Amino acid sequence: MLNELITKYNEALIDTDRERALNVVRAALDDGISPEAIVFEVVLPAMDRMIMSVSEGFEANVAQHFITAQISNAVTNEMLERFTAPTETRGRIVIGNSQGDLHALGKRIVIGCLRARMIEVIDLGTNVPPEKFVSAAVKHDAPIIAISSMMVHTARGPNGALKVRELLHAHGLEDRIKIIVGGAPYRFDHTLWQTVKADGWAENAVAAARLVEDMLSEVAR
Amino acid sequence: MITSMDRLVAAIRGEPSDRIPIFCNLIDQGAIELGLEPEEYFSRGDLVAEAQLRLREKYGHDNVWSLFYVGKEAELLGCQKIKFASDGPPNVEDFVIRSWAQIPELKVPADITQHEAFTETARCLEILKREIGGKVPLCAYITSTMTLPALLMGMDRWMELLFLGPPDLTQLLLEKCHEFFVKEVAAYRAGGADVIVYSNPFGSVDFVPMSFFLERSLPWIERDIAAIGTEGVVYYCGMASLNRTIPKVLERTGIGVYYLSPMDDITQGTALVGGRGLTCGVVNDIALIDWTPEEIDHEVARMIAAGKPSGKFLFGTGVMPRAIPERNIRALMDAALRHGRHEALTA
Repeated sequence: MLNELITKYNEALIDTDRERALNVVRAALDDGISPEAIVFEVVLPAMDRMIMSVSEGFEANVAQHFITAQISNAVTNEMLERFTAPTETRGRIVIGNSQGDLHALGKRIVIGCLRARMIEVIDLGTNVPPEKFVSAAVKHDAPIIAISSMMVHTARGPNGALKVRELLHAHGLEDRIKIIVGGAPYRFDHTLWQTVKADGWAENAVAAARLVEDMLSEVAR
Repeated sequence: MITSMDRLVAAIRGEPSDRIPIFCNLIDQGAIELGLEPEEYFSRGDLVAEAQLRLREKYGHDNVWSLFYVGKEAELLGCQKIKFASDGPPNVEDFVIRSWAQIPELKVPADITQHEAFTETARCLEILKREIGGKVPLCAYITSTMTLPALLMGMDRWMELLFLGPPDLTQLLLEKCHEFFVKEVAAYRAGGADVIVYSNPFGSVDFVPMSFFLERSLPWIERDIAAIGTEGVVYYCGMASLNRTIPKVLERTGIGVYYLSPMDDITQGTALVGGRGLTCGVVNDIALIDWTPEEIDHEVARMIAAGKPSGKFLFGTGVMPRAIPERNIRALMDAALRHGRHEALTA
């Protein structure tokens, strides 16, 4: 029964059909599948499958990532309320678009994926000054700052990740807080994340969620 | 003497010329060229025209632009605030549509040529047409019906409406955007634009699933192109790849020019177009920022070797980031001019 659920849910994601995905999940609940199984054996593996899409030779595009993030977030929220034991957050990050950048799509997809993975997200919005990234990370005790940039100048410019790095260094915070970056310019130049002195980058939003998860696990060790 | 226009026409027809045409899209570089801050530069059409002419003289490419910044289209539909940056392109800061309830109120101007926000564009077009009309292709950037809502409400909110919202509201917005699109193309053509770069990320399967492309994007592409005709139209997916959608677009619209993504395989692209149109190989101009002269030469040689044998090939750039050093623009153009020569005619 679970295999059938996985197939139907994945098909709904590929077709970017949120209503169908939610109906599939609700029907599974009615059939007695636990909310925990739905999150850990259906929703999260479906997100992982998106990461593998390139190597497995099937398409995964921006729309699918967007819808996957929205659906995954919605389903996880709905299932969390039904968990038999309360769940703990798996960590916390702050996220925003670099200063001057007003493109929210990529960030929204990442946030959806992170929340589906039960990671707490402090969303600073778009056009975020570097100082705000650092002060928010300190205030919320977040070990990761995620900076989304959709334009070359907001990715490479002096008020983006480079300045955040400078501030972390100046305040002796580099051991406590890591920087990750993402967005279109990084896809066209795979060394750009190093140029802007980030600690990591991801090709897409679903992979970004996995990267955050891995980094949070490292911090916890 | 062969003009840039002759070169482009020869490439489209697969006829002999001295070299392949080269489109180098220098938009933000105009302010640098004139030593002005972007906000001042983009406020006057005569400045934009002057910079386009100077840049073409300086680098020797085969096109000029009437594009100021993409947000101009949003201004024509009511956007009141553009965010200028000293180191990058201007962006829409004030979205015209902040809630779905505002969609029915969206007004499409009756005559774009008379709209205040078009005045400086018209001035730019007039100067360019007077100075190089008929000799150098004059490009206009037009956002497709399906992509235009992203400029009006933000891409994330548009995707939300398109995929998850009420279909009747989506349809209403698309109808309004289509009406604007048709009028905008007419305004640019009346001003002298020869080349209409039809920008549509929703025409790429990097952006939407193939099923969505076939069922939703393609019908709107057909409708757009049926309304404006294929003359001078370039199919462009905003740096997203288009090889997989070329066959359907070609078959259903007859568009004759395909502006690939740096992510596309050029040999495959030319094969898909298959002599029925012009294929444009596009350099990765984000990586270009940091390339050495040797890397630039190597990449340009590789791209032209892949495309030129098709007989109908153009070498192009994306919207070149302002951060590209002048020496790299020169190295790119030098390499393209050298590797793009058609030896028989040159000899």
